[in-house]
Amino acid sequence: MSEHLHLNVNILNAGVFGGSWRFPGTDPTASYDIEHYTSIARRAEAAKLDAVFLADSPVLESTIRHRTGNNLEPTTVLARIAAQTERIGLIGTLSSSYNDPVEVARRLADLDEVSGGRFGWNVVTTAGPAAAANFGRDAEPEHALRYRRAAHFVETVVARWDEGPPTPQGRPVVVQAGGSSDGKRLAGRVAEVVFSAEQQLAKAVAFRSELRSLAAGFGRRPDELVVLPGLSTVIGSTEAEARARREQLDDVLPDAYARARLGGQLGIDLSTLDDEQPIPDALLHDPDLAGGSQTFYRVVRDLIDREQPTLRQLLRRLSGGGGHRIVVGTPEQVADDVERWFRSGAADGFNLMPDVLPSGLDGVIDGLVPELQRRGLFRTDYDATTLRGHLGLGLPGVPADDRTPLEAAR
Amino acid sequence: MTDRPEGNAVSTPDLPVILELGVASRPPALTLAEASRLATVAADAGVIALRLRDTEPEPRQPHGGPLLDPSVVAAYLAGRESRLGYLVDVPTTHHAPYNVARRVLSLDRASAGRVGVVLRPGEGDEVSDAVAPAAPGSGSERWAEYATVLAGLWDSFPREALVGDVAGAVVVRDELLRPIRHAGRFYRVAGPIDGPSSLQGRPLLLAADADLRREHVAAHADAVILDVERDSATIPAADELLAALGRVGRERRDIRLVGRWSIEPQDLRDASALVRRVTERSTVAGLDAVVLAPRGAASVETTLREVVPALVPAAAPRSTPRSTLRDALRLAEVAA
Repeated sequence: MSEHLHLNVNILNAGVFGGSWRFPGTDPTASYDIEHYTSIARRAEAAKLDAVFLADSPVLESTIRHRTGNNLEPTTVLARIAAQTERIGLIGTLSSSYNDPVEVARRLADLDEVSGGRFGWNVVTTAGPAAAANFGRDAEPEHALRYRRAAHFVETVVARWDEGPPTPQGRPVVVQAGGSSDGKRLAGRVAEVVFSAEQQLAKAVAFRSELRSLAAGFGRRPDELVVLPGLSTVIGSTEAEARARREQLDDVLPDAYARARLGGQLGIDLSTLDDEQPIPDALLHDPDLAGGSQTFYRVVRDLIDREQPTLRQLLRRLSGGGGHRIVVGTPEQVADDVERWFRSGAADGFNLMPDVLPSGLDGVIDGLVPELQRRGLFRTDYDATTLRGHLGLGLPGVPADDRTPLEAAR
Repeated sequence: MTDRPEGNAVSTPDLPVILELGVASRPPALTLAEASRLATVAADAGVIALRLRDTEPEPRQPHGGPLLDPSVVAAYLAGRESRLGYLVDVPTTHHAPYNVARRVLSLDRASAGRVGVVLRPGEGDEVSDAVAPAAPGSGSERWAEYATVLAGLWDSFPREALVGDVAGAVVVRDELLRPIRHAGRFYRVAGPIDGPSSLQGRPLLLAADADLRREHVAAHADAVILDVERDSATIPAADELLAALGRVGRERRDIRLVGRWSIEPQDLRDASALVRRVTERSTVAGLDAVVLAPRGAASVETTLREVVPALVPAAAPRSTPRSTLRDALRLAEVAA
């Protein structure tokens, strides 16, 4: 295990909570301006974080009425950040479902080149009929087909990178999220960084261990794969302050948003249910059959199985978030949690999602990072210039090259 | 600001100047670091925008390899030099229109409404082709449909829809959004786009290919880049295009004619003569702006220091923070 852990910050528009944009002291539409992203990136670099990360989907979120959404295309944002920073890594999400692999291979290699070898590509498949309709389809392909295409897409892109001139880090880093069975197999074969969404330590240890075994099965060294669970942070200078902040986040959560989001995740119309009762079992089904994001479905389902919350409690528990683990406390308490997960083998680091942006970054940069540095768990300065360098990744051989034509999903 | 060369008896037309570059990863081509430095020189000299090529125009062009993706280069340069506008060449080939609409609009929103796309005709892309109901058709027809989709998407999320009403818990008034539900021969795109529209109404759409049908260009382009032939006194394509405007219900003020001069190193040995040629031909042809395309990395700086200052009127305001590219080219407001 490496001595230092890794930290990204997910610049998730206004913050990871559904009510982040309404949090007191927040400019509600700041995340619609480019400066929001570049200023956060500069601060993250000053704190020596491994990377900034941008999620993305080629569609307007259906929840846009009540919650801010991602609204700037990631490669243009990251290229601008590249111009205004020098060391910090730049991880961007591009869909394997709705991009052309020839074009993507070129554009991402070029982004890696202009940034001096700091780019990582988070490969996702894109769910939902709304996104499908932006590309001429009535519905997205079924889950297994999406992942077959993703696997082939990644191999095609990486093979093209390998044929072209090397970038300063050889070629971009491949990042992948997705905890479905298909997603894990893909990760084991091609991913160098895996973003995960685990609520519990034991499961996270098992997940990381499973991924490393899968990777070994494909002839890879386990340390060629870095696992970074998502972590939503609510930090206060005292525990009481942190708890108050958490309560406040619940208070500003638009109810309409929370219900729409959860209902969408579970594929259930919540308006017919009683808030004071748990969701009837009969309405919940096997995650492997869930059409949308299986990862988040599983997380929510696990919560329900463990805690049997009423619908009202469940809505509040998730606070409209995407199902990532939420840690509330002082910088020291959060550092304790981070350290426990790191030393238990549950994580090589974390993909941090501050509760509110930009104000929630203060607790991370001014509190959590210095505490981790003090404990010898995080770098005090960059010693590498590339994303591979920051993550301790070498430059392995490319995954097996499959030259048959891509399965173009209809 | 550099003084105008003495003895320049031709009155300087009010000609906005665009500088065309091809940026690659290695010398002898123009590198990104050099382009970044020259962007500032260009802005100081009064250039209104950089046009970034996607491919080299001719095989014999000395260069260090393939060019870097224009949208990546533009986003990078805009992060360093905010006074310039940026025009990015994008072919229809390999690019689904929803993705391009987002990328160009994002660039534009990050650049205070100073971005345009030079849309190049070509083939389809892997994603769109899989569901294209009837793919065969001319490159020009595909181009025209693509332009229609871009414009529709760029209008689909009006700026006023983004309200950020904290008390009312409404971020976006979604009843104001306008999905385009485009179903054409080459593309089906629902929309809407995921971010608010441009400060300049829409990013600019430019045509630069002689093999596009006049009616298509006249109907869709905000500006057309016309190569100026070295030995010809006139630009026939300009007249044909203007004639086509009436047929598609647009007017002269709706489109900008931009003359493109390819500048060889030998042209720069007599910069004054070059300036005279450019100004005379532009006046005769009734051009609205010029693109200067220096051949070879070394020619770029010479062009900026010796040609541009003579073309840019002394009184021309340098791009002010409030000036969009549409304003700089004196295009009318976009009809909502």
